[in-house]
Amino acid sequence: MFDTALTTADFIFLAKGAGMTIVVTAISVLIGTVLGVIFGVLRYQLGPIWAAPLIFVLDICRSIPLLIQLVLTNAFLGTILRLNLSGFTVACIVLSMYTAAYCAEIVRGGIEAVPATTRRAARSLGMTWGQDMREIVLPLATRIALPSWIGLALGVMKDSALVYVVQVTELLKSTQILITRLQEPMLLLLICGAFYFVISFPLARFGGYLEKRWSND
Amino acid sequence: MNHKFVVGLLAAAAFAAPAQADKLDDIIASGTLRCAVVLDFPPMGMRDENNNPIGFDVDYCNDLAAALGVKAEIVETPFPERIPALMSGRVDVGVASTSDTLERAKTVGMTIPYFAFEMAVTANDKSGVKSFEDMKGKTVGATAGTFEAIALEKQVQEWGEGTFRPYQTQADVFLALSQGQLDATVSTSTVAQSNVKTGNFPGISVVGKAPFDIDYVALFTDRHEYGLLNYLNLFVNQQVRTGRYAELYEKWVGGDLPDLTVSGVYR
Amino acid sequence: MFNYTFQWKQAFARLPQMLDGAAVTMQIAILSMVLGILLAITLTMFRLSGSRILSAIARTWVEVARNTPALFQIYMMHFGLGSFGLHLSPFLSILLGITFNNAGYLAENFRGALKAIPETQTRAARSLGFGAAGAFGYVVLPQMLRIAFLPMTNQMVWAILMTSLGVTVGMNADLYGVVQDLNALTFRTFELFALAAVIFYLITKIITIGARLIAARLFRY
Repeated sequence: MFDTALTTADFIFLAKGAGMTIVVTAISVLIGTVLGVIFGVLRYQLGPIWAAPLIFVLDICRSIPLLIQLVLTNAFLGTILRLNLSGFTVACIVLSMYTAAYCAEIVRGGIEAVPATTRRAARSLGMTWGQDMREIVLPLATRIALPSWIGLALGVMKDSALVYVVQVTELLKSTQILITRLQEPMLLLLICGAFYFVISFPLARFGGYLEKRWSND
Repeated sequence: MNHKFVVGLLAAAAFAAPAQADKLDDIIASGTLRCAVVLDFPPMGMRDENNNPIGFDVDYCNDLAAALGVKAEIVETPFPERIPALMSGRVDVGVASTSDTLERAKTVGMTIPYFAFEMAVTANDKSGVKSFEDMKGKTVGATAGTFEAIALEKQVQEWGEGTFRPYQTQADVFLALSQGQLDATVSTSTVAQSNVKTGNFPGISVVGKAPFDIDYVALFTDRHEYGLLNYLNLFVNQQVRTGRYAELYEKWVGGDLPDLTVSGVYR
Repeated sequence: MFNYTFQWKQAFARLPQMLDGAAVTMQIAILSMVLGILLAITLTMFRLSGSRILSAIARTWVEVARNTPALFQIYMMHFGLGSFGLHLSPFLSILLGITFNNAGYLAENFRGALKAIPETQTRAARSLGFGAAGAFGYVVLPQMLRIAFLPMTNQMVWAILMTSLGVTVGMNADLYGVVQDLNALTFRTFELFALAAVIFYLITKIITIGARLIAARLFRY
């Protein structure tokens, strides 16, 4: 089984694909998290009625297959607005919004989990809203939200396998290209799957560990 | 005529001027021609052992870029993503073995044909399929979004038995065929022979022709870009006239050169 | 800038075909959920069984399902198994691919839910004369499903969204497959996919609202 036609050049090619997966994921998670925190706080502060447009948009990002979001955004930005964006940019835009949509929910959940009494106590000690958010809500909510956020980041990495539709050659696409040439589907797919697993598994475990540890006190 | 009006006219003229530059100008100005090419469609588009793009379509794009005096950039697009890539401005021209159907011409602009395919039936040796008619009632497939896929799906519906499966790439079709997931496929004869010849897919062979019309394929670009379409038409004509078409055909395919004209009608 | 003419008529003319596709999408999602829940319960019992082999199987399943892309799992189901001579039709490939994924995620949810059910309940049930299976089936399982109801709804939505990956294994009867075929025919990408997006949105909304109604009815007490 390990008698293979895979050359060093092919491994470099795969590594490039893996690099692309990581870069797309890192950018999208970074931007998505910043946006997600802003949206999440807005969502919490404004309440369900004033935040309705925001809720609606974020809800759409969670209710439509990512493939369709990518194809549509690509067609909209490129065909209709005629912006000359690379597939990489489109992939990052869509994945960032996708991340933000889920992250906003996590952030809101985290803020809501901070007991109202604690926050009232903080405000009655003379803290401003900003101080309350920074000194009280942020540390407490982070504890609740971080394990879910790790899960989200890993989810985005796995979902980034779909950006092939906007001509970004990430890991799974590179694997398919090599399968086309070498016709060793099983071996190549296992290498590809192992790569995702090796990154995702330890981080997922770490998230589970944090959740367990922080929920005890 | 008041002062404001003149300023407005001048402003309008200033803004209108750049709009005169069409895509042909844009390509020449940018110094790069971006071609959509399908790279799992040997011998039209494929990759060498260093995973660089090669093939008839790749050379054709390079020739076109050379004629325009710009650099060629090959953008890999799977069959279903060819048009979205063009419509989203990611590529300038499609050199992607695209059949010039009337339905598609409602959306993109097609040139005169630059290549013509005949359709061949490739079957898994164990399936017992020996001709096109034998495919009746079997599991057959083709590459989603291609001329042959559309024709074959229609044929299966006419037969009223058997199943049709479209796969995303030509490679997936041959992979499924060699694994025995498909009994037979219809593809362009050049692609079929090229894939069988590689020996990558054991247990499959070309068993005959499919009685579909000759599949004329065209370069395509934006429907409104008449300047560019005009240039592309002349380019296709020149490729044949100068013998470059025959040369490329010999290099990548070999055998009888397909005629690109239809008798009895202009264009 | 707006050098594009919409042709919505072309998309709307294909609406009946798309709705047929939506029905197939629903069918796949529902079947994959039913199978996924049954498998997840089995995996959960494997973990509780105390047998090292069974719990290793369950753990591997859960970790692979949760730590690799769904697209990869579906592709494996078709071309991976195919290279061993095991041929699944596109429908079965996508159905079992999503089922595999569902079962992995749900088993993890169930495990979390189980932690919330006090051990003493099982003991109480056993001392009332329930067998081990009876105690699990009548006492623990219903509570577990109730606690895990929200994650199950989310998984159902994901199952709907995952059906769009069927095109990679030759599926063209589901909503995404239908739209992709139409796109190849007409090249009206934006109009067709926008319409598909609306249909997907409505389907997921119906599911989440439906689930909320069911929950309100089932979990009144």
